Amino acid sequence: MALPKMLTRAAGAAADAGGVVLRRLQNARIPGAGMPPVHDDARRAVARWRVVTVLVSPDQVGVADDVPRPLADFRDRIEIRVTPAPGDKGTELAARFRGPASDDDIGELRSALRRAKQLLEVGEVLRVDPVSHGRREPTPQGELLEEAATQAPKGGVL
Amino acid sequence: MKAATWRGTDEVAVERVPDPTLLNSHDVILKVRQTVTCGSDLHLLGGYIPFMRAGDVLGHEFIGEVVEAGPAVANHRVGDRVVVCSFIACGKCWFCTHEMYSCCDNGNPDPGITEAVWGQSPGGCYGYSHALGGFQGSHADYIRVPYADIGAFPVPDGVSDRRALFASDSAPTGWMGADLSEVGPGDCVAVWGAGAVGQMAARASVLLGADKVIVIDRYGYRLDQVERHIGAETINYEQTDVEAELRERTGGRGPDVCIEAVGMEAHTPGGQYFYDQVKQQLRLQTDRPDAVRQAIQVCRKGGRVFILGVFAGMVDKFPLGAVMNKGLTIRSAQQHGQRYIPRILELMERDELRTEHLATHVMPLDRAPEGYRMFKEKEDGCVRAVFEPAG
Repeated sequence: MALPKMLTRAAGAAADAGGVVLRRLQNARIPGAGMPPVHDDARRAVARWRVVTVLVSPDQVGVADDVPRPLADFRDRIEIRVTPAPGDKGTELAARFRGPASDDDIGELRSALRRAKQLLEVGEVLRVDPVSHGRREPTPQGELLEEAATQAPKGGVL
Repeated sequence: MKAATWRGTDEVAVERVPDPTLLNSHDVILKVRQTVTCGSDLHLLGGYIPFMRAGDVLGHEFIGEVVEAGPAVANHRVGDRVVVCSFIACGKCWFCTHEMYSCCDNGNPDPGITEAVWGQSPGGCYGYSHALGGFQGSHADYIRVPYADIGAFPVPDGVSDRRALFASDSAPTGWMGADLSEVGPGDCVAVWGAGAVGQMAARASVLLGADKVIVIDRYGYRLDQVERHIGAETINYEQTDVEAELRERTGGRGPDVCIEAVGMEAHTPGGQYFYDQVKQQLRLQTDRPDAVRQAIQVCRKGGRVFILGVFAGMVDKFPLGAVMNKGLTIRSAQQHGQRYIPRILELMERDELRTEHLATHVMPLDRAPEGYRMFKEKEDGCVRAVFEPAG
């Protein structure tokens, strides 16, 4: 196989792996690094409330038919809880799936909560793409990072 | 437009990239007037922060002129000369309203990477990898500045570009170290690192009324700058036992405040450096923290240690016993520049804070690869290399 073709295939495989790497990273148990010894199993992870704290009052968040737009897209697949946060921290906006959900669904919910928070606090969602950059060859390492960055809005610990 | 990009470990190139455009209503586009290398860029160049992609535009400390403004921008107009905080913050979340701008909840649109690594995500930063948002850096003809009303500040007419440039990052970072360490009259302050940030931390300590300020480094030309421009004492750690010297100069107590302005690639003479280098290269630890260890060891009982240098991950041989048994307070942060830049510009206007001497090498953006090499290798007394895109 010609070298450019091999590199292209390797880059494609790396891109697929990028999202996997990010998911693994957030569940990694590094000895001696203070990671918890127990992680949620898949069922518990789906059922867990995912929460952002928003610096607005509870009545500005909206409930029922008036939920923040990114969360409204989930319709009745999720339940939403809005409670005052302690001190001067605003409002806790929580959501969780009512029934089964995949890892991708959970990622979408993370992203929706983050976007809802930005809409409530800032009024719009911060964009970064398209970003100005120079030449990017399709190297495996580059594709891996590209995919990890693409998945990053849906990743993390939320 | 032209831009200096990261091409791989220790490889910088100048290439053509697309012009930035307004993406959010609170953005401005700046024509970059001056942009400068930073010691933390060297961690990117050295491959210690593995979230750079070939083609990413470098640079996060800059000054420019507004050429386009989004419809929600209230404080800036086309033609304004502004200096921009290197950290991107929304100004509206709880952290921003409590002046912890670099912890902004809404400044990093890709928080998954940093949440996975650190448990929470800080705000974004220009030109500082896809872990901190993947934003375009400032080593370019033009740059997009999000949340411009929060992060961009008009430069007073009496302050030159060369001086105001360092109000973007070095000066507020150094000022934050002294301020959050609560430096004041009666304090003896030791600062590790005589680069731009260390010098600014020392100058802030002087201005905040510290009785004695001592800067530690190994490069004579940087220590000369400290004595000439900052008004602080110096120690060359390759010629003197730092701990013995500090004890002697502080009445045997140790410094009240120790500010570390070195970061994850600390150098030290002797076997500890070799040990840290081997472990870092084998990725058994990501950072070399020797200046932090020394600061903790020598700090007076009940004193304050501030970590200003950039660290990415795990360190080894951290003297936690000394922290606990001596009752030390440790603080740290990426810079909350939006909190300090207005005051810094005032000080610059009154001539109380001068930074021009830091720009030892000024060159056109075309020479960015050479500038980074000189900066990294400390060639020709290079403290900072400044690039002028229009130069």
